[in-house]
Amino acid sequence: MSTSAAAAEGEAAAAPGVRLEKRHIVYDDGITRMFVGASVIFALVAMLVGVLVALQLAFHPANIAPLLTFGRLRPLHTNAAIFAFVGNMVFAGIYYSTQRLTKARMASRTLSLVHFWGWQLIIVSAAVTLPLGITSGKEYAELEWPIDLAIALVWVIFAINFFATLWKRNEKQMYVALWFYIASIITVAVLHIVNSLALPVSILKSYSIYSGAQDALVQWWYGHNAVAFFLTTPVLGIMYYYLPKAANRPVFSYRLSIVHFWALVFVYIWAGPHHLLNTALPDWAQTLGMIFSLMLWAPSWGGMLNGLMTLRGAWAQVRRDPVLKFFAAGVTFYGMATFEGPLLSIKGVSALAHYTDWIIGHVHAGALGWNGFMAAGMFYWMVPKLFGTKLHSERAANIHFWLGTAGIILYVVSMWVAGITQGLMWRATDAKGSLLYPNFIETLTALKSMYWTRIIGGTVYLVGMLMMAWNLFMTAKAGKAVDGEAEVVVEVSDAPAVPWTRIVFGGPVVVSVIVLVVLGAIALTNAVGAGAFMLLALAIAVMAIMIGQRKKDPTKPGWHALVEGRAFLFSVFTVIAVLIGGAAEIIPSLIIKQTDAAVLAAKHPPYSALELEGRDVYIREGCYNCHSQLIRPFKWEAQRYGEPNTLDDSRWDHPFQWGSKRTGPDLARVGGKYPNVWHWQHMIDPRTISPGSNMPSYTHLPTSTVDFAGTKEKVYAMKTLGVPYSDAQINGAQASAQAQAAEIVADLKAAGVNANPNSQLVALTAFLQRLGKPPAPKLAPIGMPVTLNEKPTDAPAPTAATH
Amino acid sequence: MGHVDPQDAANGIVHEYDGIKEQDNKLPNWWLGTFYVTIAFAGYYWLAAEGFQTTLSPRAEFDQQMAVQAAEEAAKLKTMGAVDDTSLTNMAKNASAVAEGQGAFMANCASCHGANGGGGIGPNLTDNAWLHGGAPTKVYATIKEGFTAKGMPAWGAILGEEKTRLVSAYVVSLKNTNVAGGKPPAGEVEK
Repeated sequence: MSTSAAAAEGEAAAAPGVRLEKRHIVYDDGITRMFVGASVIFALVAMLVGVLVALQLAFHPANIAPLLTFGRLRPLHTNAAIFAFVGNMVFAGIYYSTQRLTKARMASRTLSLVHFWGWQLIIVSAAVTLPLGITSGKEYAELEWPIDLAIALVWVIFAINFFATLWKRNEKQMYVALWFYIASIITVAVLHIVNSLALPVSILKSYSIYSGAQDALVQWWYGHNAVAFFLTTPVLGIMYYYLPKAANRPVFSYRLSIVHFWALVFVYIWAGPHHLLNTALPDWAQTLGMIFSLMLWAPSWGGMLNGLMTLRGAWAQVRRDPVLKFFAAGVTFYGMATFEGPLLSIKGVSALAHYTDWIIGHVHAGALGWNGFMAAGMFYWMVPKLFGTKLHSERAANIHFWLGTAGIILYVVSMWVAGITQGLMWRATDAKGSLLYPNFIETLTALKSMYWTRIIGGTVYLVGMLMMAWNLFMTAKAGKAVDGEAEVVVEVSDAPAVPWTRIVFGGPVVVSVIVLVVLGAIALTNAVGAGAFMLLALAIAVMAIMIGQRKKDPTKPGWHALVEGRAFLFSVFTVIAVLIGGAAEIIPSLIIKQTDAAVLAAKHPPYSALELEGRDVYIREGCYNCHSQLIRPFKWEAQRYGEPNTLDDSRWDHPFQWGSKRTGPDLARVGGKYPNVWHWQHMIDPRTISPGSNMPSYTHLPTSTVDFAGTKEKVYAMKTLGVPYSDAQINGAQASAQAQAAEIVADLKAAGVNANPNSQLVALTAFLQRLGKPPAPKLAPIGMPVTLNEKPTDAPAPTAATH
Repeated sequence: MGHVDPQDAANGIVHEYDGIKEQDNKLPNWWLGTFYVTIAFAGYYWLAAEGFQTTLSPRAEFDQQMAVQAAEEAAKLKTMGAVDDTSLTNMAKNASAVAEGQGAFMANCASCHGANGGGGIGPNLTDNAWLHGGAPTKVYATIKEGFTAKGMPAWGAILGEEKTRLVSAYVVSLKNTNVAGGKPPAGEVEK
């Protein structure tokens, strides 16, 4: 049996074997109203925190330790913007449009409500835990394991509700918006689960099961595709529904939808390593990341084209209507950001831009321009309909548009200038070949005016959002909540459905599989073979397309039209398209032969117990938000920071701490560069040592204490994850940690500082002094052979060196 | 499919969903061209970088640069001659060399030794007491190799040979200037 909906009026008599059934559908728009409200509120929160963290970078006293420092608030800002603001916006758009495109009410109101309240609870728990420093230390995935489990659960509930609605749909054919929703829901689940795999050590602390380069690869496969499948594809689906609705114009091209949809979901997933160009990541993965990013350019622009071309002939309308203004500008910003993305993925461009504010500017062109404007357009169009009234003030919406645009331009341009300036200053050398700006601070203070400009831009944008919140509130107040209704005539056909084998073994599937197998063979062959396989794949593809064109029968539905009528098969194909890229990159890097653990441990012993505790402080304070631990193989980086890092350097790091931004200098080899007292003083008041620094003053660290009773558990967890600690090291963890702390305390005392041996700052100092260095001789973990290339320390004899 | 208004169908509408009409225009050639060019480039670049390896990986390129630099450094060292107390003392009397050394000092050393050399976390450099020896070659060695266990970094690799000598000359020139507000002397007083 197959069904499909038709407009109630004007339907001709049914074909033989087809019954017509009239159905009355009341949409659940209450859930949409709830998600819209949540999105607007969290948009304001996310952007307010955004302005605050921007202020902290320009004006360090805005950091209020311990709860409100940049390192803890920046994750709150990103999580709030992505998951609270855009997340709720996407859910609102999906719930509203899916019901209308399937001509079916949501499958379960209970599941919708569980989804809504579950999601808000997750957001609230994020808002509480992140300022408390409860974090797993992976960007955009900072939430700790109990919250991660809740996210997975709520997401699955959402997915069940969505797919059950698809299952009972009254419109057989699925419109392109639904394709994008399917791809988003499936892929986000996969990404979240794979990246969040961690070993809990306590109710609020866990360590990533991956380490070093593997963790980096998994993290940025996730991070990049969170941008792709959380911020981009669902919003493209939203564009496909709302933009033609608001413009009342036909969508430009169905075949463009097909081509750019499949190209986008297949290619996007490969591009993650472009976040790790010129790092210690294996070269083949970097090259894959770069070339797939370049191939993403056209598929991304396919979405922009279908949006902008739909507005052909409607430009007079765009001038008047704030909704269309937001959509037109939002899609244009999407096009700008998706051109910039491939550009930044070129190894040479990344060399300049990586670790700088250019990347911050790039993501905000997407977040403020694409996500923010698409959200505004959608809300201004939808809220009046949800409340059966007209928008309270078109004028205010227009002013919001111009404020938003001005804000984005100030933001993005100031970050371009800041990023390129700093990137050039880092690499500048004088005629003698030495660094022109050897003091990192100079390259930071040069950006001060740009940091203030960014604050102005962000604030102006936030003012626009405040106007929107007021405008939507007044609209809702003036109207009354109404749920949409539809009369549909459903064709109930007794004709047998097309057998699934005709779809699964259809021409496009067979050709795609052959081409992918031929291309996959590249991994097994040499350069000449690779070239031959590429040409073979090309020849097969061209021939298949030619044959396909010739055999096309315009009277029968094509293969893709058949898939559009089959939600399950469509979802399966999407899963396969998405999984290929992820598997091709992650599986080889997980099974690749690494240096033998025992051999590496002899050369590069794992952290001591105290250093592990210090590392947890480092992660808790979010140091990785401003400091990288990955020196790239460039002369100027080697001059500034030391020998470029290799895979082995971060092998014991669960999670990896390579970072993605250098507001401060790289720390991969900071160990031993300065005395203990330098770190002590620098953490308490950075400016006594580096005048002009914008680092927060961590005044709480000297008095906060480490609970050494839990240290053993942490070392044990690391051993479980594969870090080669001996039983003696695990059992003696507390004693060894306290002994090492006593040595540092004695050294500090000699320099005139009285430190509490249980102080977290002592542990953090131990960690920092260890970075890039073998352990100091007396502190060697028991039973671990150590090669010395250091002069022995002549600190006073430790009082508690009993192990 | 079956539900498109005949008049719409005549205007190229192929589907209608919830009132959204869909056309099926051809893919713009420039867009297709862009797509094909990026695919072709991807194939070419993979072969060049990973297949035939005609382009160097970032790491290989770095190693090559470092080899060139090491050779240049060696050649420069030859022309600069050996470091000895006399050459450094002479440099310390040369105003332009001292000024150049001071520039590097301000950028790298001032955070620990004070902007005027009066000391901070690190010792006072303007008295006549030295923790690691006050002879010009000793000062040079301290800067170049560092005493990392005591907190003095090794600057040789960061500054390069020439700047290391210039900073050494500047520090030698500070000797006995005893700036106001300096840290109390530490180490052995030089005779």
